[in-house]
Amino acid sequence: MDRRKFFKGVGLVAFAAIVAPTTDLKAVDFRATKPDAWEADKTTKGIQALFGATPVESKEISFKAPKLAENGGSIPITIKSKLDLETIALFQDANPRSLSCVFSVPVGAIIEYDFRIKMRQTAFVTVVGKVRGSGKLIMTSKEIDVSIGGCGG
Amino acid sequence: MGKVKIKAKEKKGVVKVKAMFTSLMADKEEATKKGIEAAYIQQIVATVNGTVVYEISMSGFMSENPLLKFKTKGGKKGDKMVFTVTDNHGKTTTSKKKIK
Repeated sequence: MDRRKFFKGVGLVAFAAIVAPTTDLKAVDFRATKPDAWEADKTTKGIQALFGATPVESKEISFKAPKLAENGGSIPITIKSKLDLETIALFQDANPRSLSCVFSVPVGAIIEYDFRIKMRQTAFVTVVGKVRGSGKLIMTSKEIDVSIGGCGG
Repeated sequence: MGKVKIKAKEKKGVVKVKAMFTSLMADKEEATKKGIEAAYIQQIVATVNGTVVYEISMSGFMSENPLLKFKTKGGKKGDKMVFTVTDNHGKTTTSKKKIK
């Protein structure tokens, strides 16, 4: 009886260790934790799958992107925010799957991320951020015009 | 997976990092069209002195040269920044760069 209880205890601890929130030392691996989010085809579905809630439009997260992208294969995006966000995700409705990338932001990081994405066609791009601590979801979105499809299309 | 080229410079306590790399960045649809296997970089983690300063999970819909740039306060001149790049097949490459 004692041995069984002991093992159960160990199992519980192990489970808790896996489920427990990650600290700065280990980056969150979104592929392992939220595989469904990567398959969602539309932005709204992707947001639900990744965050499980609906974000609120906010001016405290912003991103820079060209209004017209001449080359859909390389569209520069800069995401900025002064808030202490723990997660930032970029979605778009141009590609077969909506989630382009996710950042997990370490404590004390400066949120100014540059990167380039591909979009097959003109579509809305949405950036969603999750505030550390409160878990509040904020978002901002823009439409980007794409003149040449960048996905071999 | 292509090569990763990292530039890291510290100015007034803020480290600006630029990571350029070429990778096929072909997600499933594109790969099927081209008749090859889906190949793209899935995750990049940057650490300085063991602390994570940047983490991005990506889909195949990033550009072939995503030209990632970011700023962090978590390092200073002389520190080594380590980039761990994982592709969709689970293969990992590590690159080190000293912050200038």
